[in-house]
Amino acid sequence: METGTLGRWPMIAITVMRVFVGWHFLYEGIAKLTATSWSGAGYLKQARGPFAEWFRWLASQPNLLANADQITMWGLTIVGLCLVLGLFTRLAALGGIAFILLFYFANPPFVGYFYSLPTEGSYLIVNKNVVELCALLVILVTRSGRFAGLDRIVHGLLGRRPRLAAA
Amino acid sequence: MAGEDDKGTARPGAERPRKLDRRDVLMGLSTVPALGLFGYAWRRQHQYQRARIEAATAAPVAGGALQEINVALLGAGAQGQVLIDAMLRIPGLRFRAVCDIWSEYNQRRVVNQLKRFKHEVNGYEDYREMLDKENALDAVVIATPDFWHAPHTIDCLKAGKHVYCEKEMSNTLEGARSMVAAARETGKLLQIGHQRRSNPRYLHCYEKLLGEAKLLGRIVTVNGQWNRAVAPDLGAPDRYAIPDARLKQYGFKDMHQFRNWRWFKGLGGGPIVDLGSHQIDIYSWFLGANPSHVMASGGLLYHDPATHEWYDTVMAVYDYDTPQGPVKAYYQTQTTNGSQGYFENFMGDQGTLLISESEVNYAGRLYRDPNAPAWDTWVQRGYVTAPKLQEVKEQAEGAVADVRESVSPDEHLVPVALRDPYHQPHLQNFFDAVRGKAQLTCPPEIGYESAVAVLKVNEAIEAGSRLAFGKDEFEV
Repeated sequence: METGTLGRWPMIAITVMRVFVGWHFLYEGIAKLTATSWSGAGYLKQARGPFAEWFRWLASQPNLLANADQITMWGLTIVGLCLVLGLFTRLAALGGIAFILLFYFANPPFVGYFYSLPTEGSYLIVNKNVVELCALLVILVTRSGRFAGLDRIVHGLLGRRPRLAAA
Repeated sequence: MAGEDDKGTARPGAERPRKLDRRDVLMGLSTVPALGLFGYAWRRQHQYQRARIEAATAAPVAGGALQEINVALLGAGAQGQVLIDAMLRIPGLRFRAVCDIWSEYNQRRVVNQLKRFKHEVNGYEDYREMLDKENALDAVVIATPDFWHAPHTIDCLKAGKHVYCEKEMSNTLEGARSMVAAARETGKLLQIGHQRRSNPRYLHCYEKLLGEAKLLGRIVTVNGQWNRAVAPDLGAPDRYAIPDARLKQYGFKDMHQFRNWRWFKGLGGGPIVDLGSHQIDIYSWFLGANPSHVMASGGLLYHDPATHEWYDTVMAVYDYDTPQGPVKAYYQTQTTNGSQGYFENFMGDQGTLLISESEVNYAGRLYRDPNAPAWDTWVQRGYVTAPKLQEVKEQAEGAVADVRESVSPDEHLVPVALRDPYHQPHLQNFFDAVRGKAQLTCPPEIGYESAVAVLKVNEAIEAGSRLAFGKDEFEV
């Protein structure tokens, strides 16, 4: 019935991408949740770029940092779960984009910045965070959850209600 | 929201009410198996990690029918929190009470945390009221500011409780002496919180590497440090502020002093006491002697004297007369730059032991002097790891090495890790002792010796000269 905004094969390809991006988010979240004591403090403390001061301030407030850590761990897990399942896909993609923007701007690979935390590649302005962000943009605008995902069922159930359909 | 998405698209039929067909359901569920695959992969990964961690951890104490111990926490600040987090991992404890004068914040936080773990705890502001009402208590864990240690410990011991008291044992030697006396008088256990004394890596080094294998040969020098980066003063939101009357009642001038008591004379002892006493305790333990002299230099070089009293920078040199001969031991602590962190470094004529409580930095490295006998036996017995392969050194162009230059020593690691919170083994040792199954690793006499050695540093800075320890100064 619904094939999304693109043809069948492009939608399948985008869905595969969505599941993999979701997988990555999910494991990033779960790995932090199951680690004995994960904290984003180290990452925040070496922040650079336009928002560096704010990130460092966040890292120096134990109570706020604890909340930020919780939000990060659970947020990544939930976004990942939703992307894999195709549930509330667009909301999840937006959430994922928000997280990546935060990560990106905490330690941006801008010209002239040098970091001590290891990265596995070589980046100039564009890093894998940005690439993943672009993937989420594609997911956001193509409604892949309604092609293959629980959104299709949710949408189908809600779609029968004339009130919502007319809204 | 669902309807909105469809507006403006090229397919007007999308707004038509429709039914879910079989295809919709199949497509809808089509990515669920990916989650199953994820779960499977994650479980496998998790098992590998668990196996690695378990292999590195000592065998746990046998569970079974543990005699339950009723515990109270006295002092629910940052250190109290560290101890609570460690104790929650120890089986056989029943928390009954939490006492902290900051009932608006710290007390409430820990009470709520313990309730989440199904402990029925009562909160108290006054420890005397707690001792009066909580008759079932077996043990009290004290993590209050140093100047409260003596009155708190003595009253708890006299009320018939076993006590675990954080270090520094007391900010005065009279206080520390009266604690030893109270423990002897009451016959109750008193463990002082020099937690490295129960750390499996330190025990391994003390018993096996230094005691049995004598890997370092004759130790002649020791150096150690705790470098800590600048940290802002601790604050507190106004809405949680303690009323002035209560602060005064418990010996604090204002909220700032209450939060930052470690920096104030008469309340704490400054960084040399907070940080140094852990490590200077190890000097004396590993050398098997108490120091004979100390000279020290220190000052408030960086922090604002209006809000800080103790020295933020201290450098001290101890003399030891050990059974093997004289030793010089250097220690420094500063609170303006955290580079190279904290460690203790023992240097003998056959080897060097670089050790730290940290599991991340300097967790235990040994360097064998090239002239020392080979350590193959100790590698085979698992006392130390095989030596690290040395990198081929590229000689800088044009460099001419002096023939008298020492050959690089072999580097080995201490193969003992602690995969629990740093304070857990020490607390476990205390509770094992309460059950009569262990000897305390840091009884009050040891805490006292350590206090004598450390508090003398502040004296030496004030005096500006080298001070001698009296022969009987360490006796109590």
